[in-house]
Order: sequence, then structure tokens, then C-alpha cells
Amino acid sequence: MKFYLTILAAFSALTVWVSAEVSVLRVSSTLQSYNISQPWEKQAPYNRRGLGVVIGKNQILTTAEMVANATFIELQTADGEKSIPATVIAVDYEANLALLAAKDPEDIKFIESMKPVELATPSKLGETVQVFQIEDNGMPLLTNGIIRGTDVVSTFVDGHFFLNYEIKAAMQSAPNSFTIPVLKDNKLAGLLTSYSSKDQLLDATATEIISAFIKDAADGKYVGFPDLGVSIVRTSDENFRGWLKLTDAQGGVFINRVQRNSSAEKAGIKVGDVILKVADSAINRRGYYTSKNYGELYWSHLIRGTHVTGDEIQITLLRDGIELVKQVKLERPIEGIIPSHTYGKAPRYMIKGGFVFQELTESYLKLFGDDWKSRAPMTLLDALNHPEDYEKGKKRLVILSRTIPTKATIGYERIRATIVTKVNGQEIPDIPALIKAFKTPGENGIHTIELDNDIEKIYLDAETASKVEAEFLQQGLPALSRDKE
Amino acid sequence: MKFRTQRFLLTASALFTAALVPQAQAQLAPPIQPTNPAVSKLSAIYQSVVRIEVATQVPDYKAPWNSGRYSGGTGTGFLIGKNRFLTNAHVVSDSKQVVITMHGSARKHLARVIHIAHDCDLAILEVDDFSSFEKLPYLQVGKVPKLETQVRVIGYPVGGDRISVTRGVVSRIDFRPYSHSRADQHLVVQIDAAINPGNSGGPVLQDGKVVGVAFQGLTSADNTGYMIPTPVISRFLKDIEDGKYDHYVSLGISEFPIFNPAMRKVYNLSEDDPGVLIARVMKDTPCDGILKVGDVLTALDGQPVDSSGSIEIDGERVDMNEIVERKFAGDKVKLDFTRDGKAMSSEVTLKPFPAAQIFSVQYDKRPRYTIQGGLVFQPLSLNLYSALGISNPRVRRLFSKYTSENIYKTRKDIVILTKVFNDPVNRELAGYTGNAVQSVNGTKVTSIEQLHSLLNPEETPEFFVIRCDGLNRPLILPGKNINQINQRIRQNYGIKEASYLGK
Repeated sequence: MKFYLTILAAFSALTVWVSAEVSVLRVSSTLQSYNISQPWEKQAPYNRRGLGVVIGKNQILTTAEMVANATFIELQTADGEKSIPATVIAVDYEANLALLAAKDPEDIKFIESMKPVELATPSKLGETVQVFQIEDNGMPLLTNGIIRGTDVVSTFVDGHFFLNYEIKAAMQSAPNSFTIPVLKDNKLAGLLTSYSSKDQLLDATATEIISAFIKDAADGKYVGFPDLGVSIVRTSDENFRGWLKLTDAQGGVFINRVQRNSSAEKAGIKVGDVILKVADSAINRRGYYTSKNYGELYWSHLIRGTHVTGDEIQITLLRDGIELVKQVKLERPIEGIIPSHTYGKAPRYMIKGGFVFQELTESYLKLFGDDWKSRAPMTLLDALNHPEDYEKGKKRLVILSRTIPTKATIGYERIRATIVTKVNGQEIPDIPALIKAFKTPGENGIHTIELDNDIEKIYLDAETASKVEAEFLQQGLPALSRDKE
Repeated sequence: MKFRTQRFLLTASALFTAALVPQAQAQLAPPIQPTNPAVSKLSAIYQSVVRIEVATQVPDYKAPWNSGRYSGGTGTGFLIGKNRFLTNAHVVSDSKQVVITMHGSARKHLARVIHIAHDCDLAILEVDDFSSFEKLPYLQVGKVPKLETQVRVIGYPVGGDRISVTRGVVSRIDFRPYSHSRADQHLVVQIDAAINPGNSGGPVLQDGKVVGVAFQGLTSADNTGYMIPTPVISRFLKDIEDGKYDHYVSLGISEFPIFNPAMRKVYNLSEDDPGVLIARVMKDTPCDGILKVGDVLTALDGQPVDSSGSIEIDGERVDMNEIVERKFAGDKVKLDFTRDGKAMSSEVTLKPFPAAQIFSVQYDKRPRYTIQGGLVFQPLSLNLYSALGISNPRVRRLFSKYTSENIYKTRKDIVILTKVFNDPVNRELAGYTGNAVQSVNGTKVTSIEQLHSLLNPEETPEFFVIRCDGLNRPLILPGKNINQINQRIRQNYGIKEASYLGK
């Protein structure tokens, strides 16, 4: 009861709706992603609407979904009467968070006149929170919800898991409503990342993740959340445990893969090791530890949610039945040869005589349809699953993605989606190297392209290729290559 | 039917279900009487076109411990010699009983498969008692029909019980896949008469002689039928003269057409020079050690090979492999090729390439398997691949590179963990099905038989450590009480035999 009074009072007091307690703005962004099958162009733009919370001086917090591949971002007052162009000052696609700021001095002044929303203290299970929406007419719409659980889930980029609250709330489902703030005593407790109207369950990024993000962004140089760089499987299988020489008292997760140049690799953690403890927290056989606030939580939160990049922690391992402790310096993961996402990046490419070269990404594989995991070319899928077998000497995996039939590519029309190993005798670690390699054709004026394909070497006449490329430009292709992401 | 490509409709297999439906349809159209005198004259030899009814038992690769699915179908065959009926292999594949009925007779004659060639989809049957057929004429095998000429398809297709005759025009002569084995390509003749379920194995006649055996249709196009032309039939008949059928032979190479001007320049070819590029040479094949990647093959048996890998035979341009197609194991073929611009020549002795069988659908064979601790292991074959819909990229890679990367040299079988019978002993392992087994207790797995012995050693180890390709977490089975556990699983799941490793 008390709660409603506060909000109504705030609303009637102001024409431009700025609550004394809750400074929320609409965010409207125009998003435009690259056309992966024709990387020199972008797809048709589309619009996404959501909310942003003023959390500091000219700092508006929203989700990364609102700014990923954005070409234009605008803030609007709740009533829609004032529009403010904004820029991104920090974004974390993995954690699905972004920080916006106004550009124009007048606009900055306006935003600075709004009282920043404070961050709530980390919530506990069973606490009541309010989901904050804005109706078309600018009226706030609040729905009470109860934090029913917590989970470590990925909300935007696959494979990146962060602490989320699971909130039971009979929220009204509104179209295009991304980033709905979740409040506790008019303080920001979380940002909604998904809602199931069927179960009336919503997921919201937890306060501590938001808090770490804001802290990291404070100095203007955003670093990002740390990562250990391993993948694990549980050890609940009794026979497996017996073979690993794990005692009944021990829990533990089995390390399945260690990423190249990762924090784990640098600390000497190996495939086959079993993680028993992270700092002081024992990991059980299913990968959970007991958190003070939330009960059972997935172990990765210990790395990503309770530490910052640069921290050192101790990890207790079991190797060949013997316990050992490794001092691990937590760092940002080095990007693998196939990046986990490409948001905010332009795909690098090169067109040579009609051959289109690109760097392999998951978005490229997704071009093969909904069942791409079985339909995409198996070598490329295998590289995605086992980058360690392909990454030697490579920064990215350069592929000949398709062949546009031209005078220069006669006879090669069927070649596509195949890994490029060498061009003109030079190794190809990425697109810039490819561009360089094509600068020096053989003495006979012919480029030699080596492929991981049924046909291992193909040849391209340099002069014919140049002519074809000139035609491409005439036909309206913006550029023959892009060497910067 | 599961194994067949979408495009091709294999006629006999589709009939069994199709034949149940059209009872009502048959009454709509009165039976066509041959009023044309030319047809009446020919009809004497219709007597030699017989109906074949088959009861089959098709192995279930998803449940190899079971005896298979009972099914059946009908097709057509024709008499080509004393107690020799020619039909399609797919009509009588996996057959448990074959029955032949004559045109206009209700009597069923028990028959047997004498020879079956799955790679060219042909088979020879004989009846137990030939006396009723003694007076029938034998159909003679003629030549390859010319384009645009008319042919007649005789058979017992769906839509009625009596013999059916359709006319068509030869519309294409090509080198096409044979959908029965899925892996083989031979000469085919396309006609514009529809070939329907039940037509399979029936003769295609021109001037009273057999010019082909009707065998497959195309579901994506109307009025197209395919027949096996006489060169393939004659080759089959010649092959079995010694009493057994040998497989087709192959050169064991893969080619890449040299159309690209830059590529032609690199290989010193002028515009009119013949030759196709050798892209791969498989180990243990006739060309192994003779040809090298990067050679340009210019002629086979003196016939110039063009830059797409085609040659001219009887005025028709066909794939160069047609030369090899018509030969037998032990025959020789002369290769002319250039290496680094130098003309070279060699003669090779042809032989089959058994490793390539992994890409062919297998028939008349019981699937091999072994079960340990509730884990079912099976060797990879096209049948298994299709039955399970294998999607694991590592396994897909092993399969498709099996011959081209000589994987068969070290792994006779690619053994797959195909199923897990849930039991306390293998709790948590069900998620690992579909992986290829790489080693057991440190020993590399090379075949299903060897895996079977690795999993059933004289002295049971503490653990069986089973490692799979691309998987860092080993699958662990305890050695302790494993025999009792196996017995329990077999009893619970009704498995008669713990393994079948072939004859």
C-alpha cells in the first residue's frame, strides 16, 4: 500500500515523468547486423525498445541486447516527449549489460538532474521485489514478485553464465520490452533478461553482477568478467569416481577441456584434473557449492561472479588421486579461433576474383538453417567443437566461404565452406594475413590457394581476378575487403 | 525404404504399401486389351515376364540384437535362359521367401536367389521346378537404345494384378547413381514412361529385345523412369559366368575437372588439350603408386579423357569410369597421363576396393554388434549411419574421410557406441551415444571383433576405460561382477545374444 502511494505521488508531481525514487528512461535503438553470407553489407535495420535506469551521473544502465550492433540509440522520457541521443560507454555482451550516456551538453544536464537509482543490497530468497514497466501513456506499471530462486545461466551469449534471480511475478507481457528494471525499496535489484508468461517466471541479472559491471566501468576502461577457461563434466557417475580415485567425502568436477592461453592453462591446470575446491568453497559432484545467500549455486559463479579480473585465487585439484593446490591469476579469456560472439564487430572478409574469404564464426554456421548443428559442413562443425585441433598457428580460421561464378573462378563454382591453409605459399592466420598474401602472386601471375578440401590446390589468374574485382566495385560492392573488425 | 535417397523412388520397395490402397482405383479403369496388332504379336514374349512376390526380413540396425522386421513386396522379372530369371537386386534383397507367378496363371512357384549384385541392382533367380516354364521363350539382350527411340516397359506395377505395358521415349543416357546401394554410379537410360512400384526388374523392350531393366523412378519429376541399360546387364551376366559375382572394380582415384584457365596454365594445358586432374589417389587401389595428386590423366585405354573427366563411347559422352565399369577384376587398363608436363603411360590391373563398401547400403547381412555393461557397440556402415541419423561431426568426418584419408588402414571398423541399456552400472553414460570408440584400456580399437575381445579379456581388469574420439571424459565400466551385470541386462532387456561378430 505504502509503495503505491509513493509512486503515484511522484507521478502527479511532475509533467515530465521523473520519479524522485526511480529514474527510468525509455531506450529505443536501431540495430543493424552484418549479412554474414555477404559480409560487405548490412541487413535491413530493425528497432528494439526497452528501458534504462539512471544509475549515476550521465550513466544509464541497460542490457547489452539493446545495444548489440546498434547504429543509433535514443533515450526518451517515460511520456515520450523528450528524446536524447545516446552513446555506449561500456558494454559486456557476456553478462548482457551496457552503460549509456548522453552526448549533448544540454541533454547531459537534463539527465544529471535525475536522481540516480541506487543499487539494492544483494537479495535473499523469498524477498519481494517490484518489476517496473512503463505503459504507452507514460504511466508506471509495477508488479510485485517474489525471488524464488537463483540460477547461473546464460542470457545473451551462449556459454557465458551469470547469476540470475528467478522471480515469480504475474507480469504483463508487453511487446518490445527489453531490459525491465527490478526494484527493491526503489533501489535497483536486477534487470529482467527473460520472461515466461506461461510459468509467470522471469529471470533478472543479479545485483552483484550489475554492481561488478558498474564498478569495472567506472574508470572509463571496461575490462570484463574473469574466466577460468575450462569446461567440465560432473563426477556423479560412481564408476568414473572410482577410476578418478575420488573418495565419498569429495565432490569435484572433471576438467574436460582447457582453453589455450587461459587463466587455467597458465596456472598449470590440465585436462583430466578434478576441481575439488575454489578458494574455500567445496564443489560437489554435480558442480554446485553452497553460497551463504542463495544456497546451492553453480561453481562458475565463484569465478565470474565473486571475483574480478586480476584477482588471484587458489584452486584445489585432484590429479592421479593426489590433491594439489594451484594459485590461479584470473584473467580475461583470450579469444579462440572461433569467437563466441561477434556483437559490435564487423566481419572481416576478402573477395578475390569471386572467391569470398571470411573468418569462421558461429553466425556463419547458423546460415545452414535451424538444424545447422547437423547440416553445416562437418569440418567446420568439428573445428567449432574441437578448436584445439585447428588452432595451431592461427588467430582465426579463414575459410573460403563461397564462390561467386566469374571469369576468374570458372571451374571452381562448387567450392565453398572450406578451410584455407595457404595462399601463395604463406600461412593464413587471419584475414589481414590473407590480404597480404594475395599481394604477391607467383611469378607466372597466378595465385595459388591451398585448401583443406578434396582438391588441395587451386589457382587464380591475378590479372583476371583484378578485372573481376573492378567489375564488382562497379556493380556497387562497397569494398573488396575489410581488415578491421 | 529408410535407406533410400529422397529423389529416387525404388519401385519394389514402395509397392508393398502402395498395393494395399488401389483396389478401388482398379475398378475405375477397364483393363486395357492389346488391340494393336504389333502389340499382339509381341505378346508371346510377355509370357516370359513374371511376377515376383517376396517376403523379407530387414535387419534393424537400431536394434541389431533383434531378428529384424518382417515385410515384403512384389516386383517383376523375366526369363533370360534355362531356369534363369533376371530381376533387380532390390526386389529380392533381404528375402526369406521368393515366389514367382506366370502371366495368366495363379500358380505360385517357389524360387531362390542364385546371384545378387547390389552394386548394379541385378539378380538372378531360379525356380525349384522349371517344368511349367519350359515352353516359354527366353528374352534376348539387345543394345543401348538411341535417344528419341521408343521403348516398351513390361511389368506388374501397382494398380492391378495383370501385366502392364507402357510406352516411352528414350530421353537421356547418363551416368547416374544407383539408389539401391546409394554408392554406385553406372550408366542409366532415362525414359519418359513412368516406372511405378512393382515395375522393378521388368524388361524394357525395343524391337523384341531387352534394352534395359526398369529399376528406379524420380519422385521430384513426372513421367521419368530409369532403366539399367544393356552394358550393365551384360557385364553382370558375364561376371557370373564363373559361378560367382565379383564386385565392380575401380581405379581408386578422384578427379577434379580442369576448366579454370589459370589452372590449365599451371598444368601446361592449351585450350584443346585433353585431361582431367587427379585430386586424390587412394591407398591399396590399382592406381596407388602409379598416379600422383597433380597428375593430369589424358586417356584411358587410348580413349581421350576431356577436362571434365568424360570420354566418348558409341557417340555418347559419358563419365570416363565407364571404361573401368565394363571391365572385371584382373583386367588391365592403360593410363596416359602427364606429370610436370611430361607425358607418361602405365598399365594397371583392376581390382575392387572393399573399403568403399562402407558407403554402400548393406543387404542380406546380419548387423554386427557387441554389448558390454549395457553399452551397445556397432561398426559404422551406411545402414547404421542412416538408421541412427548420426550427427556427431567427429563421426561424420571419420565416415566421409574413411577412404580418402586412408582411415580404413588403421581402423577396419569405426566402432560406434550406439545405445545404452539403462542399468545402475552405466548410469550417466546414455548421453555419450553416437561417439566413435577410440581405445579401450589404452589399446586402439581397430574393429568390432577386436573391441569385443578387448571388452572380454581373459583377466577382467578393475576398470574398462573406454575413450571416444574427441571426448576427454573416458567412459568407465567396472570389471567387478561384470558377467553378472551383463546377465542381468540381457535378461531385463530380452537380448538373446550379447554379440554377433559375423560369420
